[in-house]
Amino acid sequence: MSKMNRRNFLKAGAATGAVLAAPSLANAGSHGGKHGKIVIVGGGVAGATTARYLKIGNAELDVTLIEPKASYHTCFMSNEVLEGSRKLSQIEQSYDGLKSMGVKVVKDSVKSIDAKGKKVMTAGGSTFGYDRCVVAPGIDFKVDGFADVGDFSMITHAWKAGPQTATLRKQLEAMPDGGTFCIVAPPNPFRCPPGPYERASLVANYFMHHKPKSKVVIIDRKDKFSKMGLFTGAWKNLYGYGTDKSIIEWRSAASTGGIDSISAKDMTVETLANGKEKFDVINYIPAQKAGNIAATAGLTDAKGWCPVDKTTFESKMHAGVHVLGDASVATKMPKSGYAANSQGKVCAAAIVALMAGKEVGTPSYVNTCYSIAGDDYGFSVAAVYKYNAEKDIIAGVKGAGGLTPGDASAEMRRREVEFAYSWYNNICKDTWG
Amino acid sequence: MRKSMTYALAAGALMGFVSLSSAQAADASASMLADTCNGCHGPDGVSQGPAAPTIAGMNKFYLVESMKAYKAGTNRKSSIMQRIAKGYTDSEVEAIAGYFSAKKFGRVAMQNTDAGAASKGQAIAKDLCESCHEKEGYAAEDYPVLAGQMMPYLKNNLMDFKSGDRSIDNNPNMSDKEKRKKKRALEDLMAKHGDDGMAAVLNFYASRK
Repeated sequence: MSKMNRRNFLKAGAATGAVLAAPSLANAGSHGGKHGKIVIVGGGVAGATTARYLKIGNAELDVTLIEPKASYHTCFMSNEVLEGSRKLSQIEQSYDGLKSMGVKVVKDSVKSIDAKGKKVMTAGGSTFGYDRCVVAPGIDFKVDGFADVGDFSMITHAWKAGPQTATLRKQLEAMPDGGTFCIVAPPNPFRCPPGPYERASLVANYFMHHKPKSKVVIIDRKDKFSKMGLFTGAWKNLYGYGTDKSIIEWRSAASTGGIDSISAKDMTVETLANGKEKFDVINYIPAQKAGNIAATAGLTDAKGWCPVDKTTFESKMHAGVHVLGDASVATKMPKSGYAANSQGKVCAAAIVALMAGKEVGTPSYVNTCYSIAGDDYGFSVAAVYKYNAEKDIIAGVKGAGGLTPGDASAEMRRREVEFAYSWYNNICKDTWG
Repeated sequence: MRKSMTYALAAGALMGFVSLSSAQAADASASMLADTCNGCHGPDGVSQGPAAPTIAGMNKFYLVESMKAYKAGTNRKSSIMQRIAKGYTDSEVEAIAGYFSAKKFGRVAMQNTDAGAASKGQAIAKDLCESCHEKEGYAAEDYPVLAGQMMPYLKNNLMDFKSGDRSIDNNPNMSDKEKRKKKRALEDLMAKHGDDGMAAVLNFYASRK
């Protein structure tokens, strides 16, 4: 009986377009046999999840994923590599799982997308026609004017995991005890909002155990940050934060007055308040924008991110092209791995429906994000979302979600680390197969 | 249009199935809702470990009971599920539970268990646990599957039963007789076999392939 009511309601809403935004139905199969051809640009969490769930939704779909790297290093848990508790190979994901499901994985980089002609061109000289294209390029960096940073070989960003993570770990290992490590934290919006602070925590943990005279200084370009109360609480409990012996020092944008220069040559960061300061290792996480291909393909807005229909992740700039993950504007979902994974499922379900000439169903989204601040010390934030058509936002369900309580027991914090590791294993399996 | 919408809302509300807020859009499908769980519980609810439990192949009533307990926060404390469960209506919980109960309980995680302890645990479990968790914990008909479940998860929950954070007394779905039986089994486990015995039982269930 209850189902009957809902079905009637769905029908009533869809008929006038009041409930479901109804994107144009594609001509299924014009590029790839009778079921349709999907080309995915980018093999990170968003792209890989979409590929996997397209195949789960309809194994007959012709799915091609184009990714320049032979394997993918997850940003999540890369701070444990910096801490030394995890090897780089333990955050490496292969594309074999996707291949075994019949996804064609092409090692190449996309040079341009012709949204009118429905084709994707690669640097390697190939052209791929598509019925629907999914663009999941993650992030790239904005040029801040700190030109001396150059190619990030001396001063790392380590905000795309892989060789950069390895370089930064080597620098931390080579740093003398008593040295100072500086993290320049980015302005909003950026990939993984709690990431810089987890990084500070885990490097502090490494210092505490191996180089106890060393310090971490965070020069922030914001005055507050994600999970701030939980992080500062952890720093007090673990690293002496707030005392003159603190391993971690956090400087707000207001307190420094802004950054004037960053120099790789003499390893300095210059701020209005402190002038030029020398550090032993600098990790500069620049301001961010959608991955470069998004702008090249005309998918970005003035701020450098990609506006989308939040129920299908179809671009508001080009029909037939979907953008999701960090590159998209998915207010109020954060730019997190779990959000990208969740969006991949929504996008895949929408494309499966569209290719079959069916109505797109109601989406549902979740974010869970764990941070590890030290040994047996974790916490999380979670949200369950529904699309709010009136405000055009992916709105958190009221009364649900939220942060680990500040007064959580030591046992709960220990368990959150266990669950963080489970989260890692499960989301990777769910994304790359 | 307005009229039919109002009618549908009113009908839903009257029948008590749909709250006004959830009726703003059609319900998401069971797979759409359930897929959002996979990031933590593994594809199709089969956990890769080490701690998040496999929820595939559990009986539907147990999954509904668990979600409702997390939602209410009265008889089952948790780190994150209390926050997540509150995001779903009762009908959504039913749909999610139905979805995962129809999946197969997979035993895929590499779990390090101690063969000696597992063997000792087998004898204890036969004596104390088997009458509810039948077929050496493989049965899913009345109680949750324990065979092949994540060891840290099993341990955390046994600790919670001991501390009362997972309260048998406050479980609205158990009869008084059931409560007495379960509490007696737990007391016997702790009193007769101690920490080693508890560890042995955990090793036994976690080692089931």
